[in-house]
Amino acid sequence: MSVFTEKFSATLPPPTRRSERWKYSPIAKLLKNDISISKEAAQGINGWPESISPNPVIRLEAYVAVFKNGIFESTLSDLPNSEGVECIPFSKLEQGGDLEFSNSYHKKEWVGELNDRYRQDGLYLKVHRNVKVDRPIIIHHLTDGMGVASFPKHFIRVEEGGCLNIVVWSSASDDSSGMYNGILEASLGPNASLSLEKVCNEGGKVFHFSHEHIVQERDSRLKIHTFTIKGDWVRNELEIISRGKGTDSVLNGAYLPVGTEHIDNHTTMDHTVSDGTSTELYRGIMYGNSTGVFNGKVFVRKDAQRTNAFQQNTNIVADRGASIYAKPELEIYADDVKCAHGCTVGQFDLDALFYIRSRGIDEQAAKALLVEAFLNDVLSSVTCSELREEILRLYSERHDW
Amino acid sequence: MLKIKNLHAKVGDNEILNGLNLEVKPGELHAIMGPNGSGKSTLAAVLAGSDSYEVTSGSVNFDGIDLLDLETSERAREGVFLAFQYPIEIPGVSNLNFMKAALNAKRAHKGLEPIKAKDFLAKVKECSSLVKLDGRLRDRSVNEGFSGGEKKRNEIFQMAMLEPKLAILDETDSGLDIDALQVVSKGVNAMRSTDRSFIVITHYQRLLDYIIPDFVHVLSNGCIVKSGGKELAIELEEKGYDWLKEPSHDIPNI
Repeated sequence: MSVFTEKFSATLPPPTRRSERWKYSPIAKLLKNDISISKEAAQGINGWPESISPNPVIRLEAYVAVFKNGIFESTLSDLPNSEGVECIPFSKLEQGGDLEFSNSYHKKEWVGELNDRYRQDGLYLKVHRNVKVDRPIIIHHLTDGMGVASFPKHFIRVEEGGCLNIVVWSSASDDSSGMYNGILEASLGPNASLSLEKVCNEGGKVFHFSHEHIVQERDSRLKIHTFTIKGDWVRNELEIISRGKGTDSVLNGAYLPVGTEHIDNHTTMDHTVSDGTSTELYRGIMYGNSTGVFNGKVFVRKDAQRTNAFQQNTNIVADRGASIYAKPELEIYADDVKCAHGCTVGQFDLDALFYIRSRGIDEQAAKALLVEAFLNDVLSSVTCSELREEILRLYSERHDW
Repeated sequence: MLKIKNLHAKVGDNEILNGLNLEVKPGELHAIMGPNGSGKSTLAAVLAGSDSYEVTSGSVNFDGIDLLDLETSERAREGVFLAFQYPIEIPGVSNLNFMKAALNAKRAHKGLEPIKAKDFLAKVKECSSLVKLDGRLRDRSVNEGFSGGEKKRNEIFQMAMLEPKLAILDETDSGLDIDALQVVSKGVNAMRSTDRSFIVITHYQRLLDYIIPDFVHVLSNGCIVKSGGKELAIELEEKGYDWLKEPSHDIPNI
């Protein structure tokens, strides 16, 4: 038996390549690792590393909830403390909070079960009726140390007419290894609105699993952006359920892996009732020997008439050794719907490159222009300009534009 | 300015230019005409540095530099400009950012500071009014959703912005109606000066009513078979190209 499974046990078996959901993201390497969840390992010996700012978007005035190796760091955090917002880590929550969630991820997936069993802490966040939280709240996860595992789980409820912008940012110091297994469950009341930006910027060699499960009630608006800036092995899962009429959901994402990085995005958009709109745009550029996976499921159930669902996944394979496994999946059971999807895999447009170069711009700068343009459709829908600029800056720093 | 000697170029195994000779002096405007497939656009692409063609022999001297030794963007920074026959759409890259990047690349090459925002905007205003490119088109993504005529006007706008030493216009007139042709020609004529040269590639003599060439050359099977003054264009219009099969040896003193 490997070191990993000795320390972490679950009733569900770890996924194998035989399962369609995990076919292109095998975790065999993870299971061979020496990972632990001991408190000493979790706290590390060096405190908070200087190179990483507790607020990862320094220019952005935001609340921050900081977690290191899954443990809440109260001295580095700055939580909202105003009427109509309850925001507190579970470890400090005196009563249970009134939560109504129906996620069964822990019963379906090994990863989910591990999170359920070994869960350490997480944020309990409730936005009351018609309250707009005045600043974005950044949940910052840091993995720091060798063989560290963290299992956070956050609960968010935005009540009717409420408005919230959340950023879930994960970092890891360069010599880190281990596993990040984070779950976020949210529900949006009628006419509520939630913007969620997921940013992964992890150094080291961390297996990153994140799962968002979000239920939308009628007329609620959800906007999720998933940006993978850096990460050795990353799997982002989104599960959005439209449970009320007239919901609007935007699911956008970008990934630009290099080297031997592995980036997997699995999304599910489930329209169960009528008059919902969803748009999904994922763009990726695969460099080096990296691997990308995109799987986008859209369900339009029998009662979800007049649904308007759009999905697009566009990929550029920039180098010979890189690959992308892209798979859109639409299941439509209603008859009066508008659904479109597109999925492409291609190379840089050589004609466009020649055109740009013919104006005096060298090849590298020309490619940077094309990449920025390619990302722009995803980035431009991020409302918060400080965040948008920081993400673009991190991408451009990493890719040397 | 430009001396092309015995230029041979091919795509795959297909020889397209077969020993082309041409000399262009500062301030001159040379029109190159010829039937389809004669190598006109290939010549333009080879001069601009397209990777699609392989130059097998010959030389191109541009103001004392071996042009063939430079890659595409270096040629542009040295002052070569190609107005594309089919301008490329680049979604997501704004026309203005594109021009600013191009202009600053050229300035950096000359050891100059990036252009000041105010100067840049003044220049944009001046050059866009030259070809009646309105603000809406200027601010959009490069050529995206432009009509054929708008794309060609955008090429001339870019040329005016970048002030090349040598401008090569590859069938800039094709697909234009008379009004648009007049606008484009006006732009080109305004750019003519004693130290700027033009190679104007065209299929139609009509263009040369508006842009008066100093020389007209006929390209056939990858080399120039006949050269003359502007009257040659009119002669070609009347007689077609069939009477010019073999290379002639009475190339004027160019």
